Amino acid sequence: MTQRRFEILFWQFAILVVILAVWQWGYDACKATLPKSLVPGILDPYFISKPTAIWSSFLKLACFADKAGTSACLSANDNNLWIATLVTLKNTWWGFLWGTLAGIAAGLILGRSEFLAKIFEPYVVALNSIPRIALVPLIILMFGLGDLSKIVTAAIVVFFVLFFNTFEGTRSVDRDQIAAARLLGASEMTVLRTVVVPSALAWVFASLTPAVSFALIGVIVGEFIGAERGLGKLIIEAEARANAAEMMVSIFVMMIVGIGLAYIVRRLQSHLLRWQPQFDQQQ
Amino acid sequence: MTSTVASSPASSAKALEPRTRIAVAGLSKTYGAASRQVTAVDNVSFEVRQGEFVALLGPSGCGKSTILNMVAGLLPKSAGSIRIDADDVEQGLVNRKVGYVFQRDTVFPWRTVEANIGYGLEIAGLPRQQRRDKVESAIETAGLTGFGRSFPRMLSGGMRQRVALMRTLIMEPEILLMDEPFGALDTHTKLEMHKTLLDIWERERQTVLFVTHDLGEALTLSSRIILLSARPGRLKDDFAVGFARPRDAVSLRETPEFARLYTHIWHSLGEEFRRTKAK
Ligand SMILES: Nc1ncnc2c1ncn2[C@@H]1O[C@H](COP(=O)(O)OP(=O)(O)OP(=O)(O)O)[C@@H](O)[C@H]1O
Ligand SMILES: [Mg+2]
Repeated sequence: MTQRRFEILFWQFAILVVILAVWQWGYDACKATLPKSLVPGILDPYFISKPTAIWSSFLKLACFADKAGTSACLSANDNNLWIATLVTLKNTWWGFLWGTLAGIAAGLILGRSEFLAKIFEPYVVALNSIPRIALVPLIILMFGLGDLSKIVTAAIVVFFVLFFNTFEGTRSVDRDQIAAARLLGASEMTVLRTVVVPSALAWVFASLTPAVSFALIGVIVGEFIGAERGLGKLIIEAEARANAAEMMVSIFVMMIVGIGLAYIVRRLQSHLLRWQPQFDQQQ
Repeated sequence: MTSTVASSPASSAKALEPRTRIAVAGLSKTYGAASRQVTAVDNVSFEVRQGEFVALLGPSGCGKSTILNMVAGLLPKSAGSIRIDADDVEQGLVNRKVGYVFQRDTVFPWRTVEANIGYGLEIAGLPRQQRRDKVESAIETAGLTGFGRSFPRMLSGGMRQRVALMRTLIMEPEILLMDEPFGALDTHTKLEMHKTLLDIWERERQTVLFVTHDLGEALTLSSRIILLSARPGRLKDDFAVGFARPRDAVSLRETPEFARLYTHIWHSLGEEFRRTKAK
């Protein structure tokens, strides 16, 4: 068991080293040894930069390598890496939160009422078939270049994911469990709170991890199309200067943000769903 | 139609019969739309008196659950009437005097054993401390000591059914409806559950309507057996089960009286099982 774990860790580390080495020296090595037509263009540092260049770009963007000193650099640039990350993170969080709450509420209501579900079905189908990204320019027109348009974009993306999952989860609640609760004296509201919500929660959480990545995507796309600050804005600026290293820095920060958000959601999930076998810590 | 085989001297104080708690008259149920109708229950009438433990016995698919669900108000009836005390039972109306234990496992998997058993008290708004005391003693009665904080998936099927039973009993229902509550358990666990249920019932004497297709179980527990025919369910027979109480779930089965009544009802029941198979 631990033997196996060690082997897995070893190979994971080995793969990382190989990737970094090829990334750093691969292109130069190929150019020195192979005929020109065989040199893989994809490895050209002009497109993918190099680990060392990315690292120094990171130090520069994060204001760790400025002659004027870190704090002077930070205050001189209102979209430095730190502010950009915080802005993107903040907008992702609020979009995720509002989209999740609205999606769960709508899913519960339509899931519990056959009547309302029938009425709204064509509208839900129609709205859902619009690619969300197509709405972004419109949303920016409506809500401006600031944070609000990013939050709205993320919330809309998240809303539909949560809505459909909550709806399905609500529909698949065990009817005998509902009957049992009623026979023990539960009112309609109590049934909703104590039976429908907890048993739909498994479905809700199944969609929460993808939803948080969708929220991040929504915010970044919003920042691509029109923004004052944020990681997406940093990428667009770097692209204008054809600076691959700076783009890579933003991409890595996004990766870390994505991992962090997914981790928080998963922790929450394993606490709230600890009654389910796959989340049992005692096993 | 009614034959009575009692193993102990028949009650002589007929005049002082306890009051009727459940009165079912001309009850029928037809499932499905006009073209594809299935008659599950056909013109069934019976009464259950205060403190009686009545077993509703019949082959699988004869409409036992259907009858019980109508009595509990979970299912609309097609014809006939059901009264509990003076009240007509209507679908959707919950009667606080009635407790129900399901054929399927309906324990809430997201609640611990304690929280499952205390569910009814919790939503009734009983203060935490009182609730805890009651739940505590229920857990002890059910032989679940030490499992209060466990989630249902950590329990065996028999333990889960004990939780379901105590979740209902803690509400102190005067009338208890049970739909093959031990149907999914192995023979040994079933006997254990019979012991538990007999202990509780012989102390509290609720009025019980207990659905089963297991003749041994019906004889062990009940004071009366109502036998249903194969589908559509009709009333076939009505037997008094007069074994002395308190009963021992295991040794009762070894007595000659048990064997005699078992054989007697078996022939009647056997006909119905054969009719079910022939379909
Ligand atoms: N919702 C339904 N729609 C149509 N037919 C049904 C429905 N529920 C039950 N039935 C039919 O009614 C008949 C009686 O069903 P019921 O569940 O009452 O049987 P049962 O006596 O409880 O059987 P078991 O011992 O297997 O639980 C069965 O033949 C079944 O096919
Ligand atoms: Mg049944």
